Amino acid sequence: MEAEISTVLARARQGDSEAFRTLVERHSRSAFRLAYRMTGNEHDAEDVVQDSFLRAYRQLARFESRAHFGTWLHRIVANCSVDLLRSRRSRQDFNRAEDLDAIVEQPSEDEPGPERLARSAEIDRFVGAALAQLSPLERAAFTLRHYEGRSIAEISRTLGLNTSAAKHSVFRAVRKLRTALAPIRGES
Amino acid sequence: MKHYSEEDLILHYYGEAERWSTAAGRQRRRHEIEQHVDQCPACGELYRSLAGTLRQLEAPEAPERGDQYGLEVWQRIRARLPEPEAPWWAQWLRWNRLAAAAGVAMLVVAAFVAGRSWSIAENPLPASLSAPATSAQAAAQASDGRQRILLTSVAEHLDRSERILTDIMNTTNGGDISTEQHWAEDLVSASRLYRQEAVDVGEQSVASVLDELERNLLEVVHSPSQITAAQLDDVRRRIDAAALLFKVRVLGDELRQRELAMPSAAPHARAVTSQIS
Repeated sequence: MEAEISTVLARARQGDSEAFRTLVERHSRSAFRLAYRMTGNEHDAEDVVQDSFLRAYRQLARFESRAHFGTWLHRIVANCSVDLLRSRRSRQDFNRAEDLDAIVEQPSEDEPGPERLARSAEIDRFVGAALAQLSPLERAAFTLRHYEGRSIAEISRTLGLNTSAAKHSVFRAVRKLRTALAPIRGES
Repeated sequence: MKHYSEEDLILHYYGEAERWSTAAGRQRRRHEIEQHVDQCPACGELYRSLAGTLRQLEAPEAPERGDQYGLEVWQRIRARLPEPEAPWWAQWLRWNRLAAAAGVAMLVVAAFVAGRSWSIAENPLPASLSAPATSAQAAAQASDGRQRILLTSVAEHLDRSERILTDIMNTTNGGDISTEQHWAEDLVSASRLYRQEAVDVGEQSVASVLDELERNLLEVVHSPSQITAAQLDDVRRRIDAAALLFKVRVLGDELRQRELAMPSAAPHARAVTSQIS
């Protein structure tokens, strides 16, 4: 199996598009999962997956055969997501801020408590809106740390930041999320 | 009592204690923070709020993608596949194209200088018994120089060609060969110049291999960039039938040996200069 993957990779690096097709078929689903967590949007995640494979194909010569292709690809997916969020953000900032306010101010029929809210779809929407308030880099760093379980050192390598910048992106993200989620947690 | 910052508590929540490099150090640090959070109301409240918020942030459930999803992605991107970046050795080869061009230019200049030296040696010297011998010697030395440059340049050119041919022979399926075509195209132009020079200096066997190489490189250049396995097989069969890779390797070795066997250039140059003056 390992030898087969090495052969496919070697052929893909020589520009064999059929070998690259094997890699696309094998890694698309995990790339989509990460892209979805990063962008929070199905359509954007689809775009990120395609852009990531195109970028990976162009940069295959830089891929070190000793590394794991999946890890390398995830790094590209994370960076493509940041790029996409940056390009979307300038257009959608205003709408996202409105989204969060609208959710907070929605009147509830039976005044559900925090525990009940936590289980509802409403809170998912609220969390989604809170995540959308993060900067692209904060969101990427937070997703990698919180959802993907990557260490700060790995995050800094993935996003091309120094360790301190990666750490502070996570800190800022957590601080913003705490502030945004305080009302539904009953905190001031 | 030393309080912990929000940052310290976030790192603690995620189990990151990178400042303590040893396992024992990390364990001690974790224990200290846990103890402090239990005892200090302010830090305890902050940590509970922090941990409560983070626990609430569950991973968004990605919409399910079927087994065919990879194939769907492939269908969407296949027509948009960009030109891959060339590997380092190919970029190096690209730089060497300039070196090859410079080599050819040097060859032309050397031939010109050799021709000039020869006519100077023939004309201005007073007629004497030694004159015919001197001019013949100068001509022979100039010709040697020209030949030496040719041997070196052609041997390097054959090395580069061998790499492309090997790449083509080792490609198992069809696919995109545009990178190889690009390199082959550059080699064809250089090959023409070297073949002409080889004919001029009477190196017929070198010219013949270069001619065959040129035809096969042109075959690669004129094949479709997205070549099918069958088309690639045709190209490979022709290269095989001509035993081209073998000829290129043998000629390359032979030229290097001949170059080593030639007397060194410096004494020639000195001899020619002294005879002319």
